[in-house]
Amino acid sequence: MSTVQAAQQPAATAVAARPGRRRGGSRLARRRRRAGLLLSLPAVIVVVALLGLPIGQAVYYSMTTWDGISATWIGPSAYSTALSDPILWRVLQNNALLLLSIPFAIGIPLSIAALLHEHVRGWRFFRSVYFLPTAISWVVIGMVAVQFFALSGLMNSMLRLVGLASLQTDMLAGQRSALVALAITFVWSMLGTNTIIFLTGMATLDQTLIEAARVDGLSRWQIFFRVTVPLLKRFIQFSFVITVISAFSALFSLIFVMTNGGPGFGTTTLEFFVYQSAFAQGQFGTGALYGIILFVIMIIVGLVQLRLIRSEDGEGW
Amino acid sequence: MTPLTAAGTGRPTAAVTRKRLRMGTLFALMAVIAVVMLYPFYYMLNNAFRTQSQFEQQHGHSAVSWRQLFTELPVGRELLNSTIICVTAIALILLVATTAGFAFAKLRYRGSGTVFLAVVAALMVPLQSIIIPEYVNLGKLGLINTYLGAIMVYVALGTPFATFLMATYYRGISDDLIEAAVMDGLGYGRTFLRIALPLSLPAIATVTVLQFIQIWDDLLVGLLFLQNPQQRTITVGLAALSAGRTTSIPVLMAGSFISALPAIIVYLIFQRHLIRGLTLGMGK
Repeated sequence: MSTVQAAQQPAATAVAARPGRRRGGSRLARRRRRAGLLLSLPAVIVVVALLGLPIGQAVYYSMTTWDGISATWIGPSAYSTALSDPILWRVLQNNALLLLSIPFAIGIPLSIAALLHEHVRGWRFFRSVYFLPTAISWVVIGMVAVQFFALSGLMNSMLRLVGLASLQTDMLAGQRSALVALAITFVWSMLGTNTIIFLTGMATLDQTLIEAARVDGLSRWQIFFRVTVPLLKRFIQFSFVITVISAFSALFSLIFVMTNGGPGFGTTTLEFFVYQSAFAQGQFGTGALYGIILFVIMIIVGLVQLRLIRSEDGEGW
Repeated sequence: MTPLTAAGTGRPTAAVTRKRLRMGTLFALMAVIAVVMLYPFYYMLNNAFRTQSQFEQQHGHSAVSWRQLFTELPVGRELLNSTIICVTAIALILLVATTAGFAFAKLRYRGSGTVFLAVVAALMVPLQSIIIPEYVNLGKLGLINTYLGAIMVYVALGTPFATFLMATYYRGISDDLIEAAVMDGLGYGRTFLRIALPLSLPAIATVTVLQFIQIWDDLLVGLLFLQNPQQRTITVGLAALSAGRTTSIPVLMAGSFISALPAIIVYLIFQRHLIRGLTLGMGK
């Protein structure tokens, strides 16, 4: 509400400032409103027909047994039935475990950004190089990752090379280790995006603050942790949200190519479970239900983010 | 490491030597990270030029796998499919997002703020939450395995963020400029086409690049809505090839490289716009 009013204010004052043209202004204002409605209509139709309607349908179908053709109503009890399924909890556990990789997906890019921000000769080139993987499909990344983690792959040869031959494993063959391999690939894939976010953030920092800290005798490390990181809070939050959303809803291609959800349910996350239930097993109703659970989780993530921004506005650090 | 040798030539002070050592170390670190980030590209190219047996021995090179790739995968056809789908979807996203962005920023009407929020909030809808009803709906319209079906899904997924980006950009254009154009008798439609649209070319470039990479790299939509090899995109074709488990790894690597190449080229040319899109996402 407040945003709406704030947004309308400049227009109102602009009209009021021209008393001589009030009549033309009001006719113009009407035409402007009509043009506004007309021009925003296509976007509204797209969003309502292709996003809004399906999410409503998904809520409805989540309470039915549905094979895509005929649906039998079950009601809200469908949710309690689904939530008592241990496999769903196994899948949610995988999601939770994947979240453990987020400190790495943020901490490593933060260090890389700090490194680039030293502006050593060639940093622009390296920035482009680090960001390059962002352009390629997770299908491709997953394809190479499979080879990297294979028994004959680079990871195991490196272990052999440093005398840790006993640690060699086929990571994708074990349930937990496959999830770790997936998490490592995910972290690697997020490096470029998050590095760029932090680098942009560092460019906006007030250099005098950092200079002042240096004059006060703080070491480089102290400056980084006590001045730079707190000042980057907004950027860290942004990358946190992007990373969490990716972890929940963008790993489909990676899982499809690397493990296909296996071994067992070892790497099946909720988003993959939606696909499996509906398109591998034909249980469209259950799939829709899992999709709604995913949506609810996303809404919670979004609300937490809003909360963080709000509380921070009050602080005014 | 190397800066140390400079100590003998110019006889620099200890501080200068320390600084050079530091710079050298940082450069070496950056180079190591670059190796980690570029490794997949090296791996793809290196092994694409091998036969399966050369791959197993990690010795020798040949171009045989490339020929095999083109017989196993209709590469040309699939690249064409990807291009057709990308170009059409992006054109539609731009059409919808520029007009709506302009309306939400400059042509406010009662409730337009709420409508804008609703459109942007649709960003939070994960593809997986709507994909089943979408699949059934488009199936009823006979749009499964047609370009149009997949394009519609991509347009729906791209519209919220693109609209947000365009509205943010148009907000930066002065109201007076728009009003002056309207006073001159251009009308709102032509003001949009002749004044606002040309001014927003940088934002249009950003949306184009972001969407190109998103759609080109997508698997799930293509996998479900384009099951027919005739309409399949290159990314879907590649995933299908790998799921088949019949082909050799060098062939997969050759396919990976070919499918990634267009996105890499677009990235190299339009990097700047991509980075801006990412940071514009923060709203400022």
